[in-house]
Amino acid sequence: MALICIWSALPGTLCFGSLRLPTIHFSFLPVLLTFCCPGKPKGFAASSPEPIRPFLEQYCVKCHGGEKVKGKLDFAALLDSGETLEENFELWSSVREVLEFEEMPPEDELQPGDSDRKHFLAWYQEHFVDSVEAKPAFFTPRRLSVNEYRNTLRSLLGFDLELEIFEAEQTVTEKSLVRKLLPTDPPGASGFTNDTHGNPLTTVIWDQYSYLVDRGLDELFSPDRTAERERMLGPQRVGGFTVDAAKKALQVFAARAWRRPVATGELEPFFQSVEEADRDELTSSLKREMKAMLMSPRFFYRGLLAEGTAGKRTKIDPHELAERLSYFLWADMPDEELSRLAESGELAEPAVLKGQIKRLLDDPASRNLAENFAVEWLALDGIEGVSNNPPVSDALVSQPLDFVDYLFREDRPLLELVDSEITFVNVHTAKFYPVDRKQMTAYRKEKGIEVESVPNQRIKIEHNAESRGGILTMPGVLAMNRGPVIRGTWLLERILGVHLGEPPPDVGQVPVNQVGENLSFRELFEKHRANVTCAVCHDKIDPLGFSLQAYDKDGVYLRSKEAIEASRKKTGPVELASLDTTGQLPTGETFADFADMKTILMTTQRRAVVRNLVERTLAYALCRKLEIYDQPTIDEITDRLIEKEGTFRELVHEVVFSLPFRETIFPDANL
Amino acid sequence: MKSRPLNRRTFLRGFAGAALPLPFLNLMESSAATADGGETPLRFMTLFKPNGVHPPSWNINGGTETDFRMSPLMQPFAKHKEDLIILDNMGDFGFSSHANSTRRFLAGHHQNTKSASVDQLIAERIGGNTPHRSLELTTEGLFPGQIGCSYISYDQKGNPIPRESDPQLIFDRLFRNPMSVPQKRNDMVSLLDRVSDDARSLSRKAGYEDKATLDEYLTVVRETEKRLENLKSVGNNTKIDFSTLERPGRAADMNEQVETMIDLITLALWTDSTRCATYMLGNSNSRMVFDFLGVKEQHHYLSHFFRNFSRENLDGLLKISLWHMEKFDYLLERMKSFKDRDGTLLDNSVVLYGSGMGHSDNHTATRIPIVLAGQGGGRLKTGRYLRYNENQELGRLHLSLLDMFDVKHDSYAGATAPLTGLDGGHFVPYRERKFDSWTKVGNGRVTVQGRLRMSDDLNEAKVFFVDVEGCPPVRVEVEFRDFHHFNLAYHCGTAITMTGDGSDHGGQLVITKVTELKSVFGKKPGTQNG
Repeated sequence: MALICIWSALPGTLCFGSLRLPTIHFSFLPVLLTFCCPGKPKGFAASSPEPIRPFLEQYCVKCHGGEKVKGKLDFAALLDSGETLEENFELWSSVREVLEFEEMPPEDELQPGDSDRKHFLAWYQEHFVDSVEAKPAFFTPRRLSVNEYRNTLRSLLGFDLELEIFEAEQTVTEKSLVRKLLPTDPPGASGFTNDTHGNPLTTVIWDQYSYLVDRGLDELFSPDRTAERERMLGPQRVGGFTVDAAKKALQVFAARAWRRPVATGELEPFFQSVEEADRDELTSSLKREMKAMLMSPRFFYRGLLAEGTAGKRTKIDPHELAERLSYFLWADMPDEELSRLAESGELAEPAVLKGQIKRLLDDPASRNLAENFAVEWLALDGIEGVSNNPPVSDALVSQPLDFVDYLFREDRPLLELVDSEITFVNVHTAKFYPVDRKQMTAYRKEKGIEVESVPNQRIKIEHNAESRGGILTMPGVLAMNRGPVIRGTWLLERILGVHLGEPPPDVGQVPVNQVGENLSFRELFEKHRANVTCAVCHDKIDPLGFSLQAYDKDGVYLRSKEAIEASRKKTGPVELASLDTTGQLPTGETFADFADMKTILMTTQRRAVVRNLVERTLAYALCRKLEIYDQPTIDEITDRLIEKEGTFRELVHEVVFSLPFRETIFPDANL
Repeated sequence: MKSRPLNRRTFLRGFAGAALPLPFLNLMESSAATADGGETPLRFMTLFKPNGVHPPSWNINGGTETDFRMSPLMQPFAKHKEDLIILDNMGDFGFSSHANSTRRFLAGHHQNTKSASVDQLIAERIGGNTPHRSLELTTEGLFPGQIGCSYISYDQKGNPIPRESDPQLIFDRLFRNPMSVPQKRNDMVSLLDRVSDDARSLSRKAGYEDKATLDEYLTVVRETEKRLENLKSVGNNTKIDFSTLERPGRAADMNEQVETMIDLITLALWTDSTRCATYMLGNSNSRMVFDFLGVKEQHHYLSHFFRNFSRENLDGLLKISLWHMEKFDYLLERMKSFKDRDGTLLDNSVVLYGSGMGHSDNHTATRIPIVLAGQGGGRLKTGRYLRYNENQELGRLHLSLLDMFDVKHDSYAGATAPLTGLDGGHFVPYRERKFDSWTKVGNGRVTVQGRLRMSDDLNEAKVFFVDVEGCPPVRVEVEFRDFHHFNLAYHCGTAITMTGDGSDHGGQLVITKVTELKSVFGKKPGTQNG
């Protein structure tokens, strides 16, 4: 069942899950209706809601149209807007949900009969399920994200642009000049920062690019960087560049910087000033032209040079494929091998592509999948705020990152995300693994070192494995999400892939104890959920969150022998009896504690977990929000991965070989 | 052959110790100070040294205002004695956290959190007509454990001002912005022509989505062109041609990084690019490792020289402190190398150098090392050692600084009167008061009345002496607990009565555990943690 929470029907959030909707708060956001992709090329399956106009007019428009627009949802306007069904597929999905579960129309309004409802549902099934065919998206160029720009410039020049700042222990230091100077990317509609479609170029960014390029080229032409310069531009003769050598250098540089071969004709304007320069001006002229190449849209946008015929569905060209692959796995430009295979066309051959996926994943640069993809997917940057002592927060942050890196690097089964016997700890996190820490090589501080960040060691979880294995119970993840509601929400959104959106403005607070009442936190929440508005989300959130109640705010497992021992010494016996970790999911599964919950996630909820992984990975790889025509692809990949108990590398494979990754449609310029 | 750029030592220092850096010679005739023919500007420069000092190596004991010997730690800048006012008995807290002491350095009091630090008040007054109102600089990243350790400059609302550490970035801001370098402007104009041609050539074959992207790109290009047009019409108000200055290269180590930054600061002050700069040699609580000095331990660890005592550790700490002092010397040296009107840049500046705390192990905020340098255009009478009779609130120093820069302020950070004597006027110097000294021994106890001091012997940093007239000094060997509890560091140099467990070792009285300590003249360390 793939339904939408109506509150979050924002453009750009894919919402799936089985959510019961309230009858009172029905607050569509108006943006969805009025700003759907302005100027987007038309001409696709011009299906419209016209066939269900009578239904809507009879049962819905009274409250959702004309003068009265409840929940900011105006069907009258929608019917007249001429917008296609595709453009509003999330909205129609939520309309289907409220009708299927008989949440709308409200009880005191005219109710559609069974046949009317069935008619609507059949219409939905026909237009949004049966007739939906997988197809690629329109091709859209996009600007490199800050992270990609930094990596690309580094790979191009052969060195990182670093800030001169002294790194001392326990300080937070931004060493990258690119990251320091460029404005932080907001997450795009896909939820990932590499989706820069809504993140326009500004004059501020222009100035910073210009400055960064100056710094980079000055350094490249400094004596310190002779090796890097000669590697790129060829050995430099005594007497400096000749005109021919400078032209050759520009040609080589353009092909690297623009990430595909460039026809000589295209370079004429760049050659001109080099040809006209005096001999002693040649180097500065060369630098000026190189700067023009790096300030060209060909450099810092991706896809402007991709080849294809407008209006036709086509395979992406091999250079575009090389870029997609390397920006997906490395967040960086293709290296020489990848470019060479693109140039020869071999890259499109399945065996070659397969080999390159493996090579890129084996490369240390694929740590990007942990450091960028997983951090943004799982919101792991929240862990940084857990401790203001950088060595401790480094340890808490690096644990899930090392773990995700391991899952991809060693090709582990997808569900090991939830349960694994391997983890990564150092002296600052070892206390959470009081028995298994004995596997670690003892850490010894050098004399005079008060505190320092240290690398993690890999250990096998043998003790309390059911309460510690997997990413969900890592101390940093637990500590960044304090309390059952935040933990439950995180699990629901990030692991099960359900988007909840913001609570309605008038949702009210969790009740406090009244005079004479002595309700526990949990009981107060039960009360909160008695309100139907609140129950919509909290029925799903709370059980997940309460299953984690045996972990305290720092992530300590309170039921472990060691924790009981420690708390007895401090404050007397911990009230373990009052820890209630039991519950039942709306889908019926019951659980006694989080170990049971993990089993549920890996069995009855497995499909949701895997589907979410597929969706997130696909959205990250495509650098865009997923659309209705991506759903068949997502379902197919999910089916295959579930069937063969797929691994993380198989997931990468599926994504790279998928239709939306390999094909595109170039919009017609005249539309 | 492509001319090899002068290396940065050459262009910033000049050949073979020449007083002026070569590429700057062309600026000599047209220092901004003389260019506008108005009054000579007065500059304010602050250099912050983190983590306090080893007091016996820093303090001047004895001597008078004009007849005094500089201490071992002062030797690196001793040659500038005639340009200095060395202040003593600054600060009045018994103990102090790293963060609080750092805030007080320029804000007077750690609770002064709603107003600007003194450098910013001064910048507000004098920085208006210069291209850069002020510079806030440092060497290392943020220390989130106690964020206050990372800042000395605070804005009008009391919020910390972000600091920069990268000399190249500062160089570019000062000397490569389009306002100051017409060449930069021309380069950008021609670049914009080139890239818009390129974008238009792409646009000819672009599809719908590509066109939208290229439009966005070309809009930014056009806006940048417009901004440059506007700059041109504003015109160039400086007569100095900065284009001959070459950007410094990457520093090989921290020493180079700091010296390059000092080069830039002094150049910025001299060219009147700014009149106010603050520079932190490190965060307070800094865990820097000074491997380029051969020191492998973290600075903060070494600064707790009592707790972590070994002769080797103390030597490491002193090496670091001496390096800090050398950088102060380097700053003064550079400021003297610039001719400014009839004197030097230093003559027309007020330089504040120092730390936020005194004793680096127990964090006493008394006898904080603070030195003023420069004539301040005649406002300071240098060549003197001012040890005040009483511990002085830092706010009084700040009121004096505000006075010098003609900033009207009746009070600052709780202080209502400026520090006296800086201009050569009257002040009440520290005077040793007469008192009886004596010893009493018996029943395993020793009581002594005398003047407390730390041992001069670097091998015994945990040892104190109480000087008694006419007999050998009583030796005090205590654990950190007693040292801290009775705040021996605070009482050093003053008359005390001390009782403790001890005995007579062949004429040498030794106390091994302090049980009581009283100040003869009633001076008590503040009980509050400052």
